[in-house]
Amino acid sequence: MKKKFIICLLVSFFILPDSVRAIVNPTKEFYVNDYADVLSEKNEQYIIEKSKKLEEKTGAQIVVVTVKNLERKDIESYATELFRKFGIGAKNENNGLLLLISLEERKSRIEVGYGLEGLLPDGKTGRFQDEYMIPYFKEDHFDEGILNGYKAFFKEIATYYEYTEDIDEPIEEENDIGEWITIIISFIGRNGRRTGGFYYGGNPFGRRSSNRGDSFFGGGFSGGGGFSGGGGSSRGF
Amino acid sequence: MSKGTGIIIAILGVVLVLAMIIGGSYNSIVTKSENVDTKSANVSVMLERRADLIPNLVNTVKGYTTHETEIIDKITKARENLLAAKDMDDKVKANDELTKSLDALMVVVENYPDLKASENFIQLSDELAGTENRIAVARKDYNDAVKSYNTAIKKFPMNIIAGMFGYEQKEYFEASEGSTKVPNVEF
Repeated sequence: MKKKFIICLLVSFFILPDSVRAIVNPTKEFYVNDYADVLSEKNEQYIIEKSKKLEEKTGAQIVVVTVKNLERKDIESYATELFRKFGIGAKNENNGLLLLISLEERKSRIEVGYGLEGLLPDGKTGRFQDEYMIPYFKEDHFDEGILNGYKAFFKEIATYYEYTEDIDEPIEEENDIGEWITIIISFIGRNGRRTGGFYYGGNPFGRRSSNRGDSFFGGGFSGGGGFSGGGGSSRGF
Repeated sequence: MSKGTGIIIAILGVVLVLAMIIGGSYNSIVTKSENVDTKSANVSVMLERRADLIPNLVNTVKGYTTHETEIIDKITKARENLLAAKDMDDKVKANDELTKSLDALMVVVENYPDLKASENFIQLSDELAGTENRIAVARKDYNDAVKSYNTAIKKFPMNIIAGMFGYEQKEYFEASEGSTKVPNVEF
């Protein structure tokens, strides 16, 4: 099995041009792309719901991507390529944020679109990783770490756009995991969606159809064409 | 319609088509050339941004160390050279010099655990790493633009039109080995 995989890898290395190789494609959920299979169904749904609302209210997009490995690229170039390929954030605002984690290399990166660099300078994204994510990643608690980091960044971006009613507080490093679990449990009850969004209908970017079928227009979102110039921060854990 | 007018119309038609080809190609060359200039400006902006981060870094390092004046002088000098550099060639050279001295600093920092663990230093390291990554991205975008431009003006009929209006091949931005890799902050 492993041998086959390596052969496939070698073959793809020679056949495919650099840009086609390696970078994963957006899934139909778009906001969550769990290729490393570390996220629980519950947290996936949470992130999808939150990101969807955030986009409806503010136009900003937060996308989570987990991969098994980076196909021999460094995480910075992988993240920038993926960011541009997905087109995270609205085209003219470039207000996208990518949360990327690769298991094999044990690396994570926050990549920030041009439009959010003022709100989230590199130093801040690094500190957020240190405070909200890395402590979990070090213990291999990827599901929790991603959710917690997601909440921290959601809070920043939502506050910036004065969209505060859906913010959930992230847990800081000092707090212990037990406390966190109780908060998560309290969440399950309130996962029901509200349908007060005013963004239904005239979406200029076109959305892919999907089989989720749980919302008016299908639920498969696509990127708004947002761009990144390589801003953000990386961590090993 | 006489034979004469027919020929005139035919000639006019040919001229019109030629004008459209030349005009279209010319415009496309101009657009691609402009794109290269924009991307080149982006690289310069990012290089300056890097230089702007240095004074803060130097001050932070000074706060924790006493004997590292030599390395700090080197960094300061490299920064000045980078800001003074006029053309892209000089900028690349100065930037490489700055990279080298910063690498040396990062080795020294290992001897100062307090500095390494300080919030200020971590933040500056992130800003610096982020900017270095931005430089790498801007450089790649620039090279892509140059490639698209250079390929275009080699092809027919663009090559003739480019020659007519004096558009020449543009240079790639070749960075030295060391400056392409982005340092990682690890704990």
